Amino acid sequence: MAPVTYLEAIRQGIWEEMERDSRVFVMGEDVGAYGGAFKVTEGFVHKFGMERVIDTPISEMAIASAAYGASLTGLRPVGEFQFMDFISSAHSQIVQMLAKSNWRWGAPAPLVLRGPSGGGVSGGPFHSQNPEMFYVHTPGLKVIAPATARDAKGLIKSAIRDNNPVLFFEHKFLYRRVKEELPEEDYTVEIGKARVHREGRHISVITYASMVYVAQEAAEILEKEGIELEILDLRTLLPLDRDAIRRTVEKTNHVIVLHEDTKTGGIAGEVAAIINEEAFDSLDAPIVRITSMDAPVPFSPPLERAFLPKVEDVVREARRLMKY
Amino acid sequence: MATSKIEAPSPAPIESKPKSALNPQSANEAEATAAAGKEASQPPVGTNPHGIPDWRLEQSPFHIESEWANGEYRYKVTGDTNTPVPPMRPSKYLTKEQSIEMLRYMIINRRMEATLESMYKQSQVIGGLYLSLGQEACSVASAYALDKDDWLGPMIRNQGSMIVKGYQPSATMMQYMGKGASPTKGRDSGSHYGDLKKLNVVAPISHLGDSIGVLAGVALGARLQGKNIACLAYIGDGGQSTGPTYEGFNFAAVQRLGVVLVVEHNSWAYSTPVELQFACKDLADRAIGYGVPGVIVDGTDANQVYDATHEAVARAHRGEGASIIEAKLMRMKGHAMHDPAQYIPMAVKEYWKRRDPIARMEQYLKETDWMNEGQIAEMHAEVERFIDEERAVAEAAPMPEPEEAGTDVYFDNATDIPVKYGEVRVKHANPNRKLTEPSVHAHYK
Repeated sequence: MAPVTYLEAIRQGIWEEMERDSRVFVMGEDVGAYGGAFKVTEGFVHKFGMERVIDTPISEMAIASAAYGASLTGLRPVGEFQFMDFISSAHSQIVQMLAKSNWRWGAPAPLVLRGPSGGGVSGGPFHSQNPEMFYVHTPGLKVIAPATARDAKGLIKSAIRDNNPVLFFEHKFLYRRVKEELPEEDYTVEIGKARVHREGRHISVITYASMVYVAQEAAEILEKEGIELEILDLRTLLPLDRDAIRRTVEKTNHVIVLHEDTKTGGIAGEVAAIINEEAFDSLDAPIVRITSMDAPVPFSPPLERAFLPKVEDVVREARRLMKY
Repeated sequence: MATSKIEAPSPAPIESKPKSALNPQSANEAEATAAAGKEASQPPVGTNPHGIPDWRLEQSPFHIESEWANGEYRYKVTGDTNTPVPPMRPSKYLTKEQSIEMLRYMIINRRMEATLESMYKQSQVIGGLYLSLGQEACSVASAYALDKDDWLGPMIRNQGSMIVKGYQPSATMMQYMGKGASPTKGRDSGSHYGDLKKLNVVAPISHLGDSIGVLAGVALGARLQGKNIACLAYIGDGGQSTGPTYEGFNFAAVQRLGVVLVVEHNSWAYSTPVELQFACKDLADRAIGYGVPGVIVDGTDANQVYDATHEAVARAHRGEGASIIEAKLMRMKGHAMHDPAQYIPMAVKEYWKRRDPIARMEQYLKETDWMNEGQIAEMHAEVERFIDEERAVAEAAPMPEPEEAGTDVYFDNATDIPVKYGEVRVKHANPNRKLTEPSVHAHYK
């Protein structure tokens, strides 16, 4: 079987779920005849019909609200935000209405809101953001951010089958840059479980989404110096896999938390707190955070390069940690 | 602040206009035939300057503006607040029994709130208490026009709507008391509760307008399952300023979903008069921008509210889409119990006090010889006994267990969530089509 891109994996995942379950439908801006801005839903409208592939007004609030309303009738909507930056326009519906739905009035909301996030493509401050932490801070939601094609497909399927509201942050830099062969059979990846992307003995790099590949490049450089990185891909940000975090810290005793999101209030702080609670005695050195700087995502390439975490940042901090 | 002097509007001339292009619901033949008999006895329907039908028998004879006078900022009334109370418009659809039942719901609504008010003063209510005095006809008569399968999206003052939909008054009482047996198990207050399985009520939140798009989604979900339902949503003159109101209702309009939006123009957004909230005269004018039918009714006239909602609901059931009903009325209490509403000019309070919706309904039922004074008095006494029993139920209910604070944040994945109306039906799909990688992807390889 030919290798499949990260984007195509998501497309296959939604397609297959729509084939197996008529309760699943998609709605969003330009998802119908146009097939979506990134072509995740190309061909869907012809196969599944305009009733199940709904072009909406430019109205993220309406997408989130109507998806939630339809989920109350037992359907399983998949709402697309053209860019996850625009999730802010639906913020109150997501954090107030649907996240509290089951807790407040026993109304489960089985829906997915998905779309591309992340930088590295000169998208500028409104097409490059990583807004996941607003939602990681909201009980009642599940938040997913896959790094590989295999996980992207397995997790979008799990998200659609989940009985709770799931926010699915795809990474647009990875859309067509990562590829792999996928299992032939129907498979899912469990929500809430991290994955060891690369095994190593010396330093744990706890990360997710596109930064998995930054960590991987750094690992290949450091390997030649005898420093082994273990890369833990969180995959799900809410709920976090506390056990996997504890296990890798107990193994390596050194931790770098790496993410593309900005530093203050990023998940690195939460991961550090979990290590503090679960594996403090295993630490041989302070936890290092490598993140984007606390600034909006800049547009021009030299600025964006300066803004984003780089391979050399990981290499430098790993060498420093080994000498600590 | 320089406010230009606005003359008190004289009552708009009542002109009879057969079928407005903006009002497709009046163009529906079936409805028109059914109502033809009673139509003859109907006073003529006027239109506002934008062609929106105005069913009221009296246009607002006064106007409130803000002014700076003698070193103070205040609201000033211009115009006549002493005009006589108009009669109620006879209903085209309601039977005697229905009219009497509606009156009972309105009295339950009021009596329950009066009881809650006294419980608040005895510190039995936790937090704020939001009352709907003067709005009972609007809540009750609109919800009364719904079928069992239709949905309701109430706001904080629509306690009456929820009683019509099937909740016991003790439900709201327990909500306000934070009881463990309340519909939200003490997790939320007031009318912030709902029911997915039987009563079809979407629990509101405090953010205004957020329910409207949700009800559009409910209608969308039902339509995908082959059923056209009506979803009755409310918004106030204050709440309609929010973005979610526009986005939610625009989606309903463009998708032709059966959302019936009752704009409760209760004249005050907390302390701010409508003159400081929007520049148009009638909120029903917004129907033109949405591309849906709009109508203006007197929100203290239960017959007008019922008939307008009944027609909009019928339109939703026929799959013809959304409607707006602007109900002009008055919030006779403050925003919540802590607010004595001293900002409302006394003459305005008095004007609306004479237009009490329950007194008007009782007067109407007496004039039609459907009820007499004694029967009305007996109904009040019966409701009083009923509410006392409901209060006892609420008071006897236990407070929640502390460990309930953090349970149910997520729904379990082992339980299957059933569809509400049936299998999803698609007319135009092409199921034989296979998944092939889009050609556009090749461009990026």
